[in-house]
Amino acid sequence: MEKTERLLDLLALLLEAKGPVSWARLKELFRDDYGQGTEDAAQRKFERDKAELVELGVPLEYVVQDDEVQGYVVDKAKYYLPDLGLQADELAVLYAAGSAALAQGLFPGKEALQAALRKIAFQEGPPPKPSVRVQLDALQPARVSSTLEQLWTAIATRKSVTLNYYSPKQDSVSKRTVNPYGLALRRGSWSLVGHCQLRGAVRTFLVHRVRALEVNALKPKSPDFEVPDGFSVDAHVASWPWQHRFHEPVDALVELGGELTALQPALLPGARPVDGERTHFRVTVTNLSGLLKAALSWGPKARVLSPATAVDDERQAMQRVLRAHEETR
Amino acid sequence: MSAGVTERLRRLLFLVPYVAKHPGVTVDALAQAAGVSKDTLLDELELLTLVGHPPFQPDDFIDIYVEDERVYVELDQRLSAPPRLTPNEGVALLAAAELLRPVASDALSLALTKLERALPPGALEKAQALRRQLDVKSDAPPDTQTLHRAITQAREVTFDYLTLGRGDTERRRVQPLELKAVRDQWYLSGFCLTRQDVRLFRVDRLSRLELTDTPFTPRTQAPSASREVEPSAPVKVRFAKAAAPYVRERFGDGVRELLSGDVEVHLSWATESWLVPWVLSFGGDARVVEPAWAVDAVRRGAQARLDALPTSTA
Repeated sequence: MEKTERLLDLLALLLEAKGPVSWARLKELFRDDYGQGTEDAAQRKFERDKAELVELGVPLEYVVQDDEVQGYVVDKAKYYLPDLGLQADELAVLYAAGSAALAQGLFPGKEALQAALRKIAFQEGPPPKPSVRVQLDALQPARVSSTLEQLWTAIATRKSVTLNYYSPKQDSVSKRTVNPYGLALRRGSWSLVGHCQLRGAVRTFLVHRVRALEVNALKPKSPDFEVPDGFSVDAHVASWPWQHRFHEPVDALVELGGELTALQPALLPGARPVDGERTHFRVTVTNLSGLLKAALSWGPKARVLSPATAVDDERQAMQRVLRAHEETR
Repeated sequence: MSAGVTERLRRLLFLVPYVAKHPGVTVDALAQAAGVSKDTLLDELELLTLVGHPPFQPDDFIDIYVEDERVYVELDQRLSAPPRLTPNEGVALLAAAELLRPVASDALSLALTKLERALPPGALEKAQALRRQLDVKSDAPPDTQTLHRAITQAREVTFDYLTLGRGDTERRRVQPLELKAVRDQWYLSGFCLTRQDVRLFRVDRLSRLELTDTPFTPRTQAPSASREVEPSAPVKVRFAKAAAPYVRERFGDGVRELLSGDVEVHLSWATESWLVPWVLSFGGDARVVEPAWAVDAVRRGAQARLDALPTSTA
């Protein structure tokens, strides 16, 4: 019997059974599947089938009642998806989030997500008209999508991966073997955080810079590594350019003049206002040049006032711009 | 491995309850609901007709059949609803939901609590453990929540809007229709009563937002993507070798490779207020090639910044 069919039969039987179904009875009913070969092999086969059903959310358990009745049961009360009682606005955000994640395939666990949304639609009805659209974006969505899927499988099964990783700074590709600890999405970009065997330390990799990926195929059922206790993916990724963890944190003073003052919460979130100076803000940064680049891109009313190195860097940068644009004449 | 079997089984456990709930659903509609092609669906329906329980008397089979392109099932009590969410399904949904956290944190928190209750016993711990490894954070300006509330309650809003280029702000009254985010850059589309037209606003450029008590009926016309624009023109920018890899990452095939290792990007439109700060942010690694007005604008911009710097910092 084909495996899918056998699993469905097994589930149908257990859902209908009035009480626990014993192993002996299962062997009898599924003679061609569990009734052949050695007892050991038959049990292993059944255990694999059982694990498959449990993975699908089937509460399949072995029970002993009154020391006598022993066997397998599926608790019906725990099997069926209950009425979730979601309100229209709750449903709307879930659907909007789900369709954002699925739109370009730029989210790991796509099949699981689709299945989850189908189940919710079954209980709660069709999606209401969306009021929010979130678009994830990548230059090469197909490659990023399949890399994410492979990485998520490797993370869930704790298998190491070998990456061909592109560095724009070196403009070259290097091969890295990484124990993948987790994935993070920040400002539209996915990062892989993991222990890099080459560097012997935790490193963060941008998923769109992974040119090729192989998951360790040896012993797929046994994990290659453990994620250290209390490990936090968040501690290794940055949301804003000035947070990239390149250096020791320093305090910077930023002026946002004119119309930029009111935009501070959006431009420079988390910055502290300076007493008596409506347009001055303090922010702690680990990548000062990232802050300077951002301030330059906000226009003439944004300036990094301190530390002094940032002012020197800006002077040199603007002199380089002038020189570059003199040459074109 | 057995990913194929798992996926197939997952779909089958969905199909039977779905058809029971929607008797006579068309094959096409069912294929769409199950997320498979019509051919795959027909194969799977065939398998379902073989499912029963041992020793497989005809009455034990699930009676699912197709008639005139419509699908029916003799109500099978055993599979009247799909199974609960699996840990993987729970994690995928909880993580994806974070994308909407900045807009609707209250609705989201309530929804997630209800979802967690729908996980099978034991799955919650597993889902929470996996959840720590899939860390999704979405950022949005604080006003986004209020704007979302205004959309769902169909109430007009007023705010100061900054038009870059003109460099001034203007009070607007808007009927908000939709929020849209592209890589965490949030936009509001709505009918601007001040301009009497559909407009797209960048949420990070509005301030002093107020949610009014004035209700409105959303207009039927589709929101257009028209922004408030200042004059724009094509511009050619050349990037030094050091910046080239980053430029390739952003512009992809739109980059022209030069023999020197430099790259050139031809922007089909650029406004002065956008172009100058952007070019300056490359600190000399970007050079506007043409037109002359843009070269001048960048030079003026760099000089103005230099003039504003304190004379000595040492």
